[in-house]
Amino acid sequence: MNTDASRNDLVKRGNSTLGVAAVLLAAGALLGALLGALALFEAFAVTDAVAGLSIARWFGVLLAGLGVALLGVGATSRAGLVRSEPDRTAGPVAGVAFSLVGLVIGGLLASQTLGFGTLWPIGALIVGAVALLLTVYPRGDLGATLPSGLLSLFTGIVVATGVIAPGWSWSPIPGSFTLPGDIAVPLLAIVVGFLVAWMAARAYGGFGTQGKQASAYLLVSASAAGMLALLVVLVSYIVVRGWAPMTEGVKWGLFWANWTYFYVPPIHRYVVIDGPVLWFHWPFVMNGHALLNDVNGIMPAIVGTVWLVLGAIVFAVPLGVGAAVFLTEYAGQSRFTQLVEVSTNGLWSTPSIVYGLFGWAFLVPRLGNGFSILSGQLVLGFMLLPLVIITSREALTSVPNAYRDASAALGVGKWETIKSVVLPAAMPGVTTGIILGIGRIAGETAPILLVAAGSPFPSDAPNVLTSFQLSATPPFVTNDALLQATSALPYQLYAVITAGVNKNAGLAWGTALVLLLVVLSFYAIGIASRIYFRKRLEA
Amino acid sequence: MSDSSTTETAEDEQPTTTTTTAGETVEEVQDEWIEYDFDGPAKFSATDLNVWYGDDHALHDITIDIPENSVTALIGPSGCGKSTFLRCLNRMNDRIKAARVEGSVELDGEEIYQEGVDLVELRKRVGQVFQSPNPFPKSIRDNIAYGPRKHGDINTGLLARLLGGDDREREEELVERCLRGAALWEEVSDRLDDNALGLSGGQQQRLCIARALAVDPEVILMDEPASALDPIATSKIEDLVEDLAEEYTVVIVTHNMQQAARISDQTAVFLTGGHLVEYGDTDQIFENPQSQRVEDYITGKFG
Ligand SMILES: Nc1ncnc2c1ncn2[C@@H]1O[C@H](COP(=O)(O)OP(=O)(O)OP(=O)(O)O)[C@@H](O)[C@H]1O
Ligand SMILES: [Mg+2]
Repeated sequence: MNTDASRNDLVKRGNSTLGVAAVLLAAGALLGALLGALALFEAFAVTDAVAGLSIARWFGVLLAGLGVALLGVGATSRAGLVRSEPDRTAGPVAGVAFSLVGLVIGGLLASQTLGFGTLWPIGALIVGAVALLLTVYPRGDLGATLPSGLLSLFTGIVVATGVIAPGWSWSPIPGSFTLPGDIAVPLLAIVVGFLVAWMAARAYGGFGTQGKQASAYLLVSASAAGMLALLVVLVSYIVVRGWAPMTEGVKWGLFWANWTYFYVPPIHRYVVIDGPVLWFHWPFVMNGHALLNDVNGIMPAIVGTVWLVLGAIVFAVPLGVGAAVFLTEYAGQSRFTQLVEVSTNGLWSTPSIVYGLFGWAFLVPRLGNGFSILSGQLVLGFMLLPLVIITSREALTSVPNAYRDASAALGVGKWETIKSVVLPAAMPGVTTGIILGIGRIAGETAPILLVAAGSPFPSDAPNVLTSFQLSATPPFVTNDALLQATSALPYQLYAVITAGVNKNAGLAWGTALVLLLVVLSFYAIGIASRIYFRKRLEA
Repeated sequence: MSDSSTTETAEDEQPTTTTTTAGETVEEVQDEWIEYDFDGPAKFSATDLNVWYGDDHALHDITIDIPENSVTALIGPSGCGKSTFLRCLNRMNDRIKAARVEGSVELDGEEIYQEGVDLVELRKRVGQVFQSPNPFPKSIRDNIAYGPRKHGDINTGLLARLLGGDDREREEELVERCLRGAALWEEVSDRLDDNALGLSGGQQQRLCIARALAVDPEVILMDEPASALDPIATSKIEDLVEDLAEEYTVVIVTHNMQQAARISDQTAVFLTGGHLVEYGDTDQIFENPQSQRVEDYITGKFG
């Protein structure tokens, strides 16, 4: 008898009333938090009226309702009206969380509403302690619902009655920080909504171990969703603002035109082949800056960034992979390799402006004594180098030793083995490192500013490809274009933003969007080559 | 008896008194060594071979002659040094930092632990197949042609093609010959360009054997080549080993007594601590072992 009672059912049938109520409650709370987030990002204005009541007050009503419902769920569970398996206590994590919330609310009430003056910590401590007690002392079901329910009810009433409303504002430090009501209300909805959803998830699992499981699941999935949402917001923000300036004046058309023609001797005729020709004009990415342009474009900056990144890759990848091969395959584990490892990690975390300063003081005077693409490529290459070394070492060490043994047992020497077996097997990892590195260097502004930046809005792109010249004297190959200053996307963006009076916000967003696209295309190339290398290794 | 036959005798000056699991002392064990004479030349002869890993003495005074064109099985409990001994025969121990080898191993009468030995040449002559199949993540063809290509015996690169020294046909022949030699040709002949990792474990292991055959070795060392395989794949490998013995000298480590009894011509029994306890004709070792401990081990009473 006794053991039966203390043992939980192995099979749980149907939806319990508690489960249904908890799901509804959690859904309502998450909806409140979501609406709060939307309001915060100005998807709608909290002052708008819906059904005769402003949205701000509806937030209050929702929170108060959630509070009452949560209290009700806790009470019915405590009274034994629904089946639940509560723990002895709601646990220390919830206790700490709610006592912190209590501290904040108590402090605000004491200092702002009740006018305790410098004695406000007393109020804060009292409310915090009460919240802690309410959470930890009662049985698990009551401890989970009482503080969160009361909190939700209290904020709900405060917001619904208009004590905190869009017109309201609070300046704890007058003149420097003001919290207006139309931000405070959605913020409250988000915070309280999450706390309620957390505890509703506990109710869903019956307040016991299962409940903690459910609430943990809710918390981690909410943070994943939040991160994804942040990414989407960030990208869509840039796309929405940058799209119009980027596509301004785009024209294209299909024409029937001559493709080629050739002479056919037997019939003494020319054969002419016509076909459709696509004509395309995209001023923003095809133009430079010039007086007579229909739309001023950023082509020179795009070309500059591409050359800078390509140069950095050409410089850093062979060097980095070579160093990694030496360190992993030849040097073995020793003091020396440990030292190198530590210093590469250190180099990787060195701020880019420091690299820039080094380039400015060391490279610029030696390479043509002026800002140049070449200096920029080298400095970005220095920055890329440690990451290439780190990831290549990682990739090389994860190549199974069985391959090396198999090759050695066939009488194949070390270098041949590395070249034909180890490196191909490590290539996917190496490319991953390069991909990550490109993301960092393509967007670097500081070092470019110090070593490579010319006019931010030139009319022509650097003509690197056709400027190579051979000479009979060292260094045998010269390229004037490489020794000239350039513009680059992040640098141009910086120049636009700090321009002040004539600031052209459209140009800035368009540039940002193009930079994003350029980085993404480098990524695409990198990912495609990683897939290629991996395909070769896989069945 | 030809003059190249050898005799192994107990070395009674052994000072060590380590007690073994069966409670006997090492001297007792070694007193039971038996002589093993065979006709024909010895492929390998190891003399007083000792191996240490750091301070760990893994092989003690191994003296053994391995006859040519036959299958020699090495058996013994786990950790007794079978793999270590095998690695001494193609100097793969050199690749282990902690390992130190003392004593002598002769291949066709030539010392392999002397200065100036060309490891590439040695390992071309003494191939190895590992316990778990380890094909390269390349196509079946590339796996087999790997060794000869690296040794410059076959050139199929772009440069070779441009210079007219393209060995494609010879490569085709080689791949087919080795795959047939490893009894794999029928199964893979239509997918030579597929990745070797797509083969089953047993096929992979036979591919590794084919890969070892491709460099035209004289000896093939096998370290439990069938331990990861099912009975059917195992029996294929076993048949293969017996066939290989006509042309090659095979030294095989196995934990499977029946396997050793089935496929080997002579068997060496190692016991815990790195001692070679008994060596002789397989039939004789399995039917009439000289040492009580070897009998216990073979009949499964310990080990
Ligand atoms: N790379 C190594 N480094 C240090 N010690 C090693 C190494 N390889 C083997 N040993 C030690 O040498 C002894 C013999 O090992 P070995 O691998 O030769 O045994 P084995 O007979 O092949 O065993 P098994 O049947 O389990 O494969 C063991 O005590 C082992 O711990
Ligand atoms: Mg072994």
